[in-house]
Amino acid sequence: MMSSLSPLDRRRQQTGLAFVTPTLLVISLILVYPILQSIVLSFGSSSIDGSEPYRFVGLKHYMTLAGDDRFWNSLWVTLTFTALSIPLELILGVGLAVLMNEHFRGKGLARLAVLFPWALPTALNTLMWRWMYNADYGLFNAVALQSGIVERPINWLGDETLAMMSMVIVSVWKTSSFMALIILAGLQSIPRELYEAGRMDGMSKWQEFREITLPLLRGPILVALIVRSMDALRTFELPFNLTDGGPVTATESLSLYAYKVIFDFIEFNYGASIVVVQFLVIFVMSLAYIFTLRNKD
Amino acid sequence: MNKRPRIGLYTLVALSVVISFLPIVWLILTSLKNTAGIYAWPPQYWPDPFTFDNYVKIVTESPELLLYVLNSFIVALGCTLLTLTIGGLAGYALSRIKMRWGAVLMVFILAVSMFPPVSLLPSLFQNFLKLGLLNTYSGLIIAHAGLFLPFTVWMLASYFRTLPPEIEEAARMDGMGLMRIFLTIVIPLSWPGFVATGLIVFIFSWNEFPLALVLMTQNAMRTAPVGISLYPGEYAFPWETISTATVIAIIPILVITAIFQKQIVGGLTAGAGK
Amino acid sequence: MTVVQLDRIGKSYGGFKAVEEFDLTIHDGEFLVLLGPSGCGKSTTLRMIAGLESISTGLLSIGGAPMNDVEPKDRGVAMVFQNYALYPHKSVYDNMAMALKLQKMPKAEIQKRVGDTAEMLGLTDYLARKPAALSGGQRQRVAIGRAIVRTPKVFLFDEPLSNLDAKLRVKMRMELQELHDRLGVTSVYVTHDQIEAMTLADRIVIMNGGVVAQVGSPREVYDTPADEFVAGFIGSPSMNFIDLRRNGDDGWTSVEGHLALPPLSFDTGQRADLRLGVRPEHIEILDPGADDGIGMTFDAKVLLAELLGADALLNLDVDGIRLLARVSGTEHPVAGDRLRIRFHEAQLHAFDCESGRALERGVPTLVS
Repeated sequence: MMSSLSPLDRRRQQTGLAFVTPTLLVISLILVYPILQSIVLSFGSSSIDGSEPYRFVGLKHYMTLAGDDRFWNSLWVTLTFTALSIPLELILGVGLAVLMNEHFRGKGLARLAVLFPWALPTALNTLMWRWMYNADYGLFNAVALQSGIVERPINWLGDETLAMMSMVIVSVWKTSSFMALIILAGLQSIPRELYEAGRMDGMSKWQEFREITLPLLRGPILVALIVRSMDALRTFELPFNLTDGGPVTATESLSLYAYKVIFDFIEFNYGASIVVVQFLVIFVMSLAYIFTLRNKD
Repeated sequence: MNKRPRIGLYTLVALSVVISFLPIVWLILTSLKNTAGIYAWPPQYWPDPFTFDNYVKIVTESPELLLYVLNSFIVALGCTLLTLTIGGLAGYALSRIKMRWGAVLMVFILAVSMFPPVSLLPSLFQNFLKLGLLNTYSGLIIAHAGLFLPFTVWMLASYFRTLPPEIEEAARMDGMGLMRIFLTIVIPLSWPGFVATGLIVFIFSWNEFPLALVLMTQNAMRTAPVGISLYPGEYAFPWETISTATVIAIIPILVITAIFQKQIVGGLTAGAGK
Repeated sequence: MTVVQLDRIGKSYGGFKAVEEFDLTIHDGEFLVLLGPSGCGKSTTLRMIAGLESISTGLLSIGGAPMNDVEPKDRGVAMVFQNYALYPHKSVYDNMAMALKLQKMPKAEIQKRVGDTAEMLGLTDYLARKPAALSGGQRQRVAIGRAIVRTPKVFLFDEPLSNLDAKLRVKMRMELQELHDRLGVTSVYVTHDQIEAMTLADRIVIMNGGVVAQVGSPREVYDTPADEFVAGFIGSPSMNFIDLRRNGDDGWTSVEGHLALPPLSFDTGQRADLRLGVRPEHIEILDPGADDGIGMTFDAKVLLAELLGADALLNLDVDGIRLLARVSGTEHPVAGDRLRIRFHEAQLHAFDCESGRALERGVPTLVS
């Protein structure tokens, strides 16, 4: 095929290649090479600054990993967090999208309100919530105590179950809006005639939602779900800023544990094996993503 | 037609708006209280006295918090410009030039965009250390560009596909080369796409945490999210300073989002629909 | 002297052949129209001449020079696009001047050329405007002007009138005709509109499925279509086709229904069947009592009559066969009427049932 390429096409392709090259260079340097290097690191032992030469140790780190309770805990925390927050986000996201699709006054402001939580840095959002959760001076306890709902301050972030719940709430607050935006775009692409036909057929509002809206939203919902799942699986600054993984390790996500192993315990190679496992989990998800997108066309 | 659903609708809308704004509003209120007011019992819902002392104190006593915001600005702007420039070229080539590996490249770029940032850290830290890129603007700018180029390429490529190809073909007949077509025809016609993409990348970069945390180890080089998160308190978090610094750090994003709401929403939904 | 020579040109994408073995010489000053349904390869052919598509096989030469590997700008061709393809952010003047500027032509010369062309096209007052401030017709004039200022050796038109409304299309068609008469530049024009093709063309190339079905003058393709596709494509409404089988008396009987025809003056050879074609406008409605028994006359029943204005279309049942006839719109028959109709042998067409090729006229071959 190469030889049959006409000079006209070849010149264009060469220019095209030149256009793509800088992007490929940066992506390789920042994304592709580091992943490969992490894989290499995970099978060996070395030092951060390279003073100690790389030594191949085979599956040693992965064997350690298999017996590392804290790793299994972090994997469990990550999966629990994902499994709890995604359905909530989805329900709220669909609700918000349906709401935003209605006509009412002050829609601009409402839309902005939906967009803000997404647009602000997660790290700082988390700080805001941590302040509201604060056991002694936080807004939630102030309201709860003053209204007499509780007698003693609730330790939102100090109890294992409550801390996980609190974390899920922050995540749901931030990302339901993202879900809503994607689903809203899907909603707006549903032709109005379908609803008019539905009304002619005598459908109720709820039947319209069940029979027309939901089936046609399948695509956008799927996309939003997968994008969000992958985000949740790599959650980092949320537990980092909210609880630092605590109490004990009740909210320590995979990303957070890997970070601590690498930069607090300075165990580069062991940390690399954790991120490789995390990478594999997410890579499988991303393959699922691409396949669903392919099937959509 | 009927009144009840409208009331229900407005109640729900009001509830969403309140919940969305609550943390931000509470934070702003906190930043406007004096220290006694912040830690008072019974709690102060409205600042009394209403004071800008915390803002004055940041400027006079903790100027590094302002430096963080400046750092964020430099990095986010640099990242946006770099990403739009090289991502625009790549997106153009991938959307308009029939290349043998074009489709494969697009999928490849999408696939690598899903790498978890933390999995890049061991290697990136080591390499940046070796290359002397730790604690440099250019280092973090390139790192962020790497993270957000896939998004940029996909966004812009799909925008370019919406342009009628005949204009570029006419330019080719007129005697323009590809670079000239890109610069003088495609860019002027794709402004909305560049604006939406640029805004989102700016927000992404401003908000990015793990790489900014690890690649900027010196206090003076930290970005706002990292710097504020790591702001040292003596025994507890100094919430009067933290809340004020946070308000300062989110103001640029609030302003951008408020002004360019339409473009950002349009860009996000277009990007996700791909 | 600009002759465009297409020497067995072909284009394939992967395994798909968009154009096959296109072999044609376009004469100097000729107005050639490529006509066909969408996807027939006509646009691809034009774009190969322009250089916007590479040529997979064969050789293209313009004015005697091989052009396969030459960049579009160096081929001496100019193109007018269907959706005008004007630079929306540049003024009319800049749109027209772009190619000349890129050729580094002196400014005074550019001004003169653009000025002259604008005057010829009645665009002088609009030179400072942006395309968005122009009407569809004006935009198309700018697109044509942009092609003219380059004084190309060949004009290429890619469905230039398709985006205009019907009235304007007729007007622009006439303008194009005048322009061509005046400039005399070799032109290749792609369209799916047969009226445009018939009115503009010196020669029409009818394409189907990537191959050339027929090349000929408008009259030739109408009067003697080379095959069933061309016969059906040219003419509106399209030709009636009737499948016939030879009967024992060397006459022909329709496969469906029971229409009977005498021996036909086509070179049928030993064929046992053929497909007869008769254009709607060639079915004669006989006045009552005017049946003199000459030619092929039949009884017909009007199933449906549609008035189009000047003409009317009749859906006829003729011995169990449905035929469409076009008659004058004044006092036309109505549904339920019974008529007598006539075919004129000279206006009939016959095709091979398998290949679809037209059969030559000749002496009827008698088998029995």
